[in-house]
Amino acid sequence: MIPGGPTAMTPPPSVPLAYLAAAAIGLFGFGFVAWFAGDKLVTVPNHPAAVSAVHMGVLAFLSVAVLGALHQFGPVVSNKRLRSVMAGRFTMVAMVAAGWLLPNGFAHGPEWMILAGGVSGAAAALVAAWNLSGPLSSRTGGVPILGLRISVTYLVLTVAFGVVYVLNRQAAWFPLLPNRVLAHAHLGLLGWLGLTYVSVAEKLWPMFLLAHRPGARSGKVAVVALGSGTLPLALGLLFSVAWLAMVGGALALVGLGAHLVSLASSVKHRRRPLEMLHAYLAASTLYLVIGIGFGVAAGFADVDTGTRMILVGVEVGALIAWLSLAVAGHAHKIVPFIQYTMLRSRGVDRHPSGRPLLFGDLYRKAPARATLVLLTVGFGLILAGMLTGSVPLAAFGGGSLGISGIVIGLNLAFGPRLAAGGPTPEPATAGRQA
Amino acid sequence: MTEITDRVYEALSGVWDPELAVDIVSLGLVYDVRVDEDDGIEIDMTLTTPGCPVSDALPAEARRAVAEALPQWPVRVEIVWDPPWTPERMNVDAARSLGVGRRLRI
Repeated sequence: MIPGGPTAMTPPPSVPLAYLAAAAIGLFGFGFVAWFAGDKLVTVPNHPAAVSAVHMGVLAFLSVAVLGALHQFGPVVSNKRLRSVMAGRFTMVAMVAAGWLLPNGFAHGPEWMILAGGVSGAAAALVAAWNLSGPLSSRTGGVPILGLRISVTYLVLTVAFGVVYVLNRQAAWFPLLPNRVLAHAHLGLLGWLGLTYVSVAEKLWPMFLLAHRPGARSGKVAVVALGSGTLPLALGLLFSVAWLAMVGGALALVGLGAHLVSLASSVKHRRRPLEMLHAYLAASTLYLVIGIGFGVAAGFADVDTGTRMILVGVEVGALIAWLSLAVAGHAHKIVPFIQYTMLRSRGVDRHPSGRPLLFGDLYRKAPARATLVLLTVGFGLILAGMLTGSVPLAAFGGGSLGISGIVIGLNLAFGPRLAAGGPTPEPATAGRQA
Repeated sequence: MTEITDRVYEALSGVWDPELAVDIVSLGLVYDVRVDEDDGIEIDMTLTTPGCPVSDALPAEARRAVAEALPQWPVRVEIVWDPPWTPERMNVDAARSLGVGRRLRI
């Protein structure tokens, strides 16, 4: 037998929890801005107000949440500490600042706000890359760590693109054509956020589903193909080189397809019943498939520029929905786990009924289900609004997202108080292993 | 010694996986218990996966549970990864409580 195992490598609970709390507020802000930008999302998807909403969702919500998860997940999986806890806290503040300054600057200025947001985002990305390079330099950790090395590189690349675009607003080096905006969007959504999720899922899915999959290769194919395809796709879009975008797009498609195969394999080999997380995963996957479909249609359909703009807008919206539902679903696992650790360190290890404390004691199920519905319906309404030109649909969709941010934030924030709440089902205590 | 071993397993049956709501003995996470008058109690246990979220808490809780049940004995808990845990290590009741008894053909 090989002795050994993880020791206390994770940062203090306040680090990831601060990120995730800020992300819930970011989700509220995203919905709020989408509500007000509903008319622009529907009619002119690249209007500054629509761009503002997208940046709010991708930075203030998704990037903050994903960075928080990485500051917890990286050390756990690699068994190596962050380089600096203080740097982890700095990254949170800087990314939150970028996530709110940039969208506000895009929507109604002043210009210094955009510049400050760009500088703040760049600082956050660089410090995060340095800090996470500690755990990510581990020789253990397999496919998830490999994927995270690539995705953090994409984070730096995405922010570098963004900084150039911010400076370009002053210097006017080049016109910010839609294809250049799209290059940036795909770098961020597929290379940074998407690849991070695809990588982390290879660890989380088998764990949460108790799925034993010896020899499964789909996860590795997903990470390698998506990681290698996103850059040529973005460069092809950036420089309008169709064949390069197609090669990159094909590789990204292979990667996302393998990711879906990996999910199917985990579900097939699961050793526990499906639960709420899996409903989140199902909704998230549905939006990924929609995003892929509209992305392919935008690339190949023989349509006018306006229609193509709508197709691309729906693709981007669906990819944000894919990631948002995945993040929200996994937050209902990650936050209770961190709170559990925190409570145990304070000596709270029992439910009021006397049995040991469980993760499931630390949030209420009804609000968690409500969040799932609000997010799924909210994104559905926004996409339907974009496709049909209906401003009310898009606006109500934004409102639904905003409410989901409040619900998930409150539900998970008050988890530790629920440890003193009502009873939950008795577990199996079946005696010695046969 | 058999009586001590039984009491160790009994104590470990009170330690639950906080995600699965099943005790660690029923899950098959406890690989071996050795009782020696000189060395005390040595427990080999594993986790459902390396990098498991409770990789710090569960072994500590197992050690504490046994130390509370048998305060006169020194207790050592070792995490082992070989052989890796598989769901087939669960006992019948654990598998049924997770709703996968038929899936595991037990």
